[in-house]
Parts: sequence; structure tokens; C-alpha cells
Amino acid sequence: MAGGAREVLTLQLGHFAGFVGAHWWNQQDAALGRATDSKEPPGELCPDVLYRTGRTLHGQETYTPRLILMDLKGSLSSLKEEGGLYRDKQLDAAIAWQGKLTTHKEELYPKNPYLQDFLSAEGVLSSDGVWRVKSIPNGKGSSPLPTATTPKPLIPTEASIRVWSDFLRVHLHPRSICMIQKYNHDGEAGRLEAFGQGESVLKEPKYQEELEDRLHFYVEECDYLQGFQILCDLHDGFSGEAQRNIYRLLNTAFGLVHLTAHSSLVCPLSLGGSLGLRPEPPVSFPYLHYDATLPFHCSAILATALDTVTVPYRLCSSPVSMVHLADMLSFCGKKVVTAGAIIPFPLAPGQSLPDSLMQFGGATPWTPLSACGEPSGTRCFAQSVVLRGIDRACHTSQLTPGTPPPSALHACTTGEEILAQYLQQQQPGVMSSSHLLLTPCRVAPPYPHLFSSCSPPGMVLDGSPKGAAVESIPVFGALCSSSSLHQTLEALARDLTKLDLRRWASFMDAGVEHDDVAELLQELQSLAQCYQGGDSLVD
Amino acid sequence: MAAIKAVNSKAEVARARAALAVNICAARGLQDVLRTNLGPKGTMKMLVSGAGDIKLTKDGNVLLDEMGLHPRIIAEGFEAAKIKALEVLEEVKVTKEMKRKILLDVARTSLQTKVHAELADVLTEVVVDSVLAVRRPGYPIDLFMVEIMEMKHKLGTDTKEVNSGFFYKTAEEKEKLVKAERKFIEDRVQKIIDLKDKVCAQSNKGFVVINQKGIDPFSLDSLAKHGIVALRRAKRRNMERLSLACGGMAVNSFEDLTVDCLGHAGLVYEYTLGEEKFTFIEECVNPCSVTLLVKGPNKHTLTQVKDAIRDGLRAIKNAIEDGCMVPGAGAIEVAMAEALVTYKNSIKGRARLGVQAFADALLIIPKVLAQNAGYDPQETLVKVQAEHVESKQLVGVDLNTGEPMVAADAGVWDNYCVKKQLLHSCTVIATNILLVDEIMRAGMSSLK
Repeated sequence: MAGGAREVLTLQLGHFAGFVGAHWWNQQDAALGRATDSKEPPGELCPDVLYRTGRTLHGQETYTPRLILMDLKGSLSSLKEEGGLYRDKQLDAAIAWQGKLTTHKEELYPKNPYLQDFLSAEGVLSSDGVWRVKSIPNGKGSSPLPTATTPKPLIPTEASIRVWSDFLRVHLHPRSICMIQKYNHDGEAGRLEAFGQGESVLKEPKYQEELEDRLHFYVEECDYLQGFQILCDLHDGFSGEAQRNIYRLLNTAFGLVHLTAHSSLVCPLSLGGSLGLRPEPPVSFPYLHYDATLPFHCSAILATALDTVTVPYRLCSSPVSMVHLADMLSFCGKKVVTAGAIIPFPLAPGQSLPDSLMQFGGATPWTPLSACGEPSGTRCFAQSVVLRGIDRACHTSQLTPGTPPPSALHACTTGEEILAQYLQQQQPGVMSSSHLLLTPCRVAPPYPHLFSSCSPPGMVLDGSPKGAAVESIPVFGALCSSSSLHQTLEALARDLTKLDLRRWASFMDAGVEHDDVAELLQELQSLAQCYQGGDSLVD
Repeated sequence: MAAIKAVNSKAEVARARAALAVNICAARGLQDVLRTNLGPKGTMKMLVSGAGDIKLTKDGNVLLDEMGLHPRIIAEGFEAAKIKALEVLEEVKVTKEMKRKILLDVARTSLQTKVHAELADVLTEVVVDSVLAVRRPGYPIDLFMVEIMEMKHKLGTDTKEVNSGFFYKTAEEKEKLVKAERKFIEDRVQKIIDLKDKVCAQSNKGFVVINQKGIDPFSLDSLAKHGIVALRRAKRRNMERLSLACGGMAVNSFEDLTVDCLGHAGLVYEYTLGEEKFTFIEECVNPCSVTLLVKGPNKHTLTQVKDAIRDGLRAIKNAIEDGCMVPGAGAIEVAMAEALVTYKNSIKGRARLGVQAFADALLIIPKVLAQNAGYDPQETLVKVQAEHVESKQLVGVDLNTGEPMVAADAGVWDNYCVKKQLLHSCTVIATNILLVDEIMRAGMSSLK
């Protein structure tokens, strides 16, 4: 339906989700800042889908993510729960008690120099205790374009990053952050480790009410709400000792099944090799180098992938609504999809899109991002593909007229055609939706340095001199309803069956019953069945 | 573990904290005894057994062995004490018809602990009237029918903007709408407009539509043109409360929209504060539901006041549903302790010590009340206990003077059900801690 922006409300649940979210919002913010830059293509993506306009009690206009995030006590470090935008120091001081008062101060978190630098670049705490933004040149966008007089922003060192607020460059609305006081983010005791714990927290009337109030606040002002995008931690941290692996397995299984029951579409995102018990080495990318032990790196890559595959429902013109995207990918109950991406998309100078695609040959070109195994040899039921950041000049091949085209791709006249044709060749007869965008993905700091050391020789990513920090990259992303899920889900179920649950009573104590596990196994197996009928067929 | 879990879910937290407190107390107690052993000028301990046998020692180990008691026997003492204490509770509870006056006292007792006195006085009436308003005969009191809304508000910057009816962000948006797509929704909107014309013709009545789902800008605009205020994305609970407050009922389909499902209110208006819009529905026919609007300058004040209100509401609900209350100010603890000291003599053996310990524990309440008010705890307690024995009335601590006072006369009341529950749960927790053989760490990390 035509009309205004189709709003999306983002929910981030958990700390790793917070890392992915922080990169995600930094990327959106970088794109906003560029909006008035004449070099950039006119807005292909509509920021109002993800952001909301507002105003403080002092009449100041704000533009903040439409976001609710939940995280544990201690995870914010020096970021205030209500953020900085709507602050008023004088009002903060008033209290409703006239008797004796003692103050118990927690040890102050060391001020994150990056955060302080960001805040001071954005605004000023005036003498009346109100934080006001410095004049915004384009009216929209919360980060002013760096001018000659603005000092270059600090880049956080990787070692200094402990929590996601250490590198978040975006102001959040005071309603965005919802802390769960019951469990600690770090330390030895009181951790949130088991599915049942999380479930029971959200069932508490206090948190239900909090969540409901915030949801209503954001949703009420939406004119054409299209849906919710939810980033949710399936498990806490990376695999370590055996016990953590068991918890990881149980949490993943419960999480997946419950999420599937309540969502239109679920996509596991992970750079790990497998979702099951036996740990597999993390995936590797041909053109980027990352440290799999750093959440800062892993979340950056996943955020870039997300920034690509979610493009269809964020387009300015002819968007595919979330509902349609989900419907397309999830028919016949196949609500779980896998993600894959080529980061960055390798386009050597002088190459055209058909040349690049041809180089991949018949293999599935993308790196799997759902810990469901290699895509090769599996069958795809439906897919949604996005390629962004290729210059229009490179979309089609520049063959001199009269030269016979080396492939069917070279004969196509538009980039969209080429992409669609390529997908047809890869997976004939599969329902594919593809989108081609000129806007690249932003990877300017505080995005980690993942690219320059690994680029294919001669490949210049965005015209910047070799060795300099890369600011943007082309990315190919795909969401795929794939038969690889059959093995993955069956394997999960098998691993579960082998568990002696009496040994893991502590997991059960958190609110999960033995019956729940039996039911879980059934759900996993029936979900796995939906994806059957792929590999054994002769195409 | 099971015994603790049976008490209530909060026992997990209570158990962990209580375990720590008990360990600290026990350590402190032992320290007191052993501390004086140290050095040649230290105190010698003479231990006299029940049979009259004497032992002199300063040896820490010997002292621990001789003075130590078997936990199970103490636990038996606790159990016996608890039963006796509950009996006393039954005797001293005051059954009354829960009229407004007495409920005000109950509310005030609860609120004065949470917010300053002036504010407590204001909240007292509000809280009692709210519960009385939402009470429906034959149903348990549903406190969710009392909604608490907050406004973060700097006094003096009152802005009273009225909704001007502008629903599009840009003119372009308006033009983008294609008439053909609108037909379905237009028909439904028309049904509402027709109903309004039917009901409000020849009068200056207004018409309000409240939808649990969304309403798009075009519909909002059409409705506004016909003088209809439309609200979208209402909470389900508010839909229920509105039906109660205004009469009328929510319908699920446009086919069911008839005059009979309409409710009535005297006044509806909107108020904008910064980014938030508040819609006020006042002068309702049947206020079986109540909204309390809390205005405060910042989040922590709002939270503090809201929490106080919730506690006050619960105190009143408890009082009404119990049909009785007990005098506060530490009065019943004094009475129970006294009864236990008498009762102790009928207990044989070392379990008697458990009863004494229980009585001592109860007395912590009046002592700490006095101490916090700045009075000497022991002196005050002695005075209160003497007054209780003499007057045979339930006497607690007057926090303004440090003197004994008859709690009921002063209007200081506690909930019966809360005291009863506490006696049960504290006994169970203390017993479990005593009987734990090994140190257990709270929470899941015990498996690391």
C-alpha cells in the first residue's frame, strides 16, 4: 500500500545482539550522514523505516533508532540507561524524600574515552544542565558531517572494547534501553545461562509491563508498521568447556523452536561452523581477515550481512514488505532460513558484473553465515538476494559490438537482468527475488579493519588509495530456504537425544521440564522434515 | 532445595541473602565469644553443664564443641515457636469492617515508609479511593484495574496543546494515496461516520473511536473531518477498563457496530507533553476502573512514587480480603516474644534454645524501629515490654517520641496475611540454612 514509510521496530535481546546492533546502527548512521553528499546515489534506502523523529521537552528535534533493547545489569558500562539526548541535570536532582538519605555509589565505570569524544562532538552540556545538540546542517541525521574544524573522531582500540556501548556512535532514545536487573552481565554468580531463566524473566509482570509500555510508545506513532526485526542471542558467548557446549546446544534448540513458533521468519546468524555439539572451526572469507574470538569482529561482519539481506523491506521505491519477504521464503512451514554473504564482493578494476559472476563458476559463491554447513550440494527452495555497491558503469559488460558474448550473462542489458539470470543458472526453477543497489555498505571506523590486508591484488574497493582504511564495500547477501536445514535440524535433534538430561539438572531447574524436552525434539524433527527432499533428488 | 522452593520463588534470592546474613551473624557471635580469649589478660570461660559439671577453658576448639548445639534440635525449637507465634497472631488480629477510615490508616502506614510525609498524605486518600472504586462484589480485587501513568514534567512548563488534526507528514504523502486501494477501508470508516451521525445528530456530543490495532493516516483524516477522535494501538487492558468505566463494549468486527455497544463519558481531551500524547477520558458513568497520573521531574522519582503506590494498593487489597489487620509499630512482635518466653518453659531440652532464639529474633523489629528513629534500642524495648505487660494492650514504638504507644489507637496497622506468611517463610528458610551440610552457592554457577 502506498503512503509513508513502512516502519520497522527493532528489538535487540542480549549482549551479542547488542554488538551486532551497535555496528548496524553505526552503519545506518554513516549512511544518514552521507545523504547530502552529491557523490552518492539518491536515497535508495529509506531511513524512516528504522528511525523515528521526536523532540525533547526542551523542544529540540531528535532522530533516533526505533529500538528496544534488553541487556543485563552491568552491560552498559559508562552509557546511561536513558542515554544522553533527553537529559536535564537539574530535573535529575530532585527526590521525593525529606528524611535521612545515604548514598551508595558503585565504583564508577572508567569513562570510555570514545564515548566522551562522541558526545562532545555531538553536543554541549549547557549551564542549565541540559544537553543540547550542536547545530545540525541537514535537519535530519544525528551525526553532523565532519568539517575542517571538527577533530577526527577517536577510533577505539580493539583491546579496549568490552561492551557494545564502547563503540556505539548513535544516540538512543531514553525508551530504548531496558536493563534486566536480576542477572549479571559478568562475574561468577547470577548469570543468565539457561533458556528457562530468560523465559521466566520475561514472564514477570514487571518486565512484561515495561516491555509493553515501550512497545506501545513506538508502535502507536507508526502509520504503516510493517513488522519487527528481532536480534536475539541464542546462546551466551562462544563454545568453551564441555558444559558450556551442552548449554549452548540446549539453548540453541529451545531458542530456535520457540522463535519459530512465534515469528514469520527465523534466521540463525553465526560465524561458527556448526550449531550442534561438535565444535567446528569458524567460517573463513576469501577477501577478509578476522579474529573469530573477538565479538567486535564477528558482530561487524554479521551486521554488514544483515544490512544487505534486509534491504528489500527498506527500499524507498517498490519495497518488498516484511510480510511478503517472509511469505516468499517460508512457504509450507519452512520458517527457518539460512543466510550467506560475499563480503566484500570481489570486482577487480576493469571487470564487469558478468565477469565477476562467471568467475565463481557453478559453485555457491557465498560464505554461509548460519552455522548450517556448506551450501554446496544442497538444494534451495526459495531465496532473496541483494547485491549492493557496484558502480552502475560495471553492471553490464563493456564488450565492443560484434564480439560474441562469453556467456548468457554478458548478453543481458541491465544489472538486474544479469543478477536474475545468474541465480536462474545456479538454481534453476527456484523462486528467487533479487535486488541490485548502488549504495554500498559502510565500513568506516569504528568498524574494525578487516579488509585492506586481504584484498585480491589490484582490487581497489572504493577508489581510496591502497593501504588506506576502507570506507565502503560492495556486498552480496542472500537469505535462503535451504535443504541444508534438514541435516542441521536433524543433527541438533540427534545430539539432544544423546544427552542424559539428569546430568544437566541445573538447566532444567531454571524452569524447563522433561516433557518440554520431549516436545522440543518432536518440533525439531517435524521442522527438519519440512526441508527434506533436496539432496537426493536429481536436478 | 525443594523445601526452599516450596516457599516461594523469591526464596531463591532470599535464601542467598539470608545465608550470607546468617553466616555473618554466626561468625560475629562466635567472634564475640572467642575474642575475649586472647592473651594473658583475656577472659577465662567457665562452662557449667546441666548436671553441674564444671570445665574451665580458653581453648577455642573446646568452646566450639561445648557451646555448639545440634542444628536439628534448634530447628525443632523454631518450628514449635512458629506454631505458638501463629497462635498469638490469631489472638491479636483485629477483625473489623473495612471502612474507608481504617483503610486510610493501613495505607498511610505503608506509604510513609516509601515517600515523604506530605506526599504520603496525598497518596493515602488516592490509593484507598482507587481500590474502593475498582472493587466489584463477588470478584477478587484486580489491582490491574488501577492503571498508573506517568508524566515526566518540569513544573511551570505546562503545555496544553490540542490535537490539531494534522495527520500527514508531507503533502507528497497525501498525494501518493491511490483512491482505488482505499475503498475497503473507506467503507469501514464510513460505517463509523454513519453511526456517529445517527447518535450525535442534533446535539453537540462528540464521538470517539478506540482501536486496539492500527489506523492509517487517511482514515484518521476522514474521521477527523467528521469530528471523530480516533485512537489507535490501545492496550488490551485499557480496552477492558474503558468498557468498565464508560459502559459499552468492544467489538471485533464492523458488522457488530451498533448503538448498543457505545459507552459514554463526560469529557475527552488530548494533552501533548514533548513527544507523548495523553488522552484524558473524564467524567465517566461508572468508574469501576481508575487511572492515577503521577507527575514528576525525573525517572527515579516517578519510579519511587509508582512503587510506593503499588505497595499501598496491595496493603489495602490485603486488608480488605483478609477482613482483619494487626497493630503495627512492632507491637505484635513484642506480644509474640513475651508469649514465647513463657511458652519456652514448657519445652523440654535444648529445643528450648530454639524458642528463645526465635523470640529474640522477633524483638529485632521493635529494636531496629527505635534505633532508626534515633533512640536507644534496648532502653526503648524495655519500656515497651513493661507497658505491654502492665496494660495488656498491644504496644509498639512511637517513632516521634521513643515512648510506648498503643499502635491501634495511633492508626498504625500491618497486614495479617503478610505477617502470617513471613512467620512461615522465615522459619523454613532459617531451618533449611541450619540443616545444610555443605556450602551451596546460589544460582546455576554451582555447577562450574
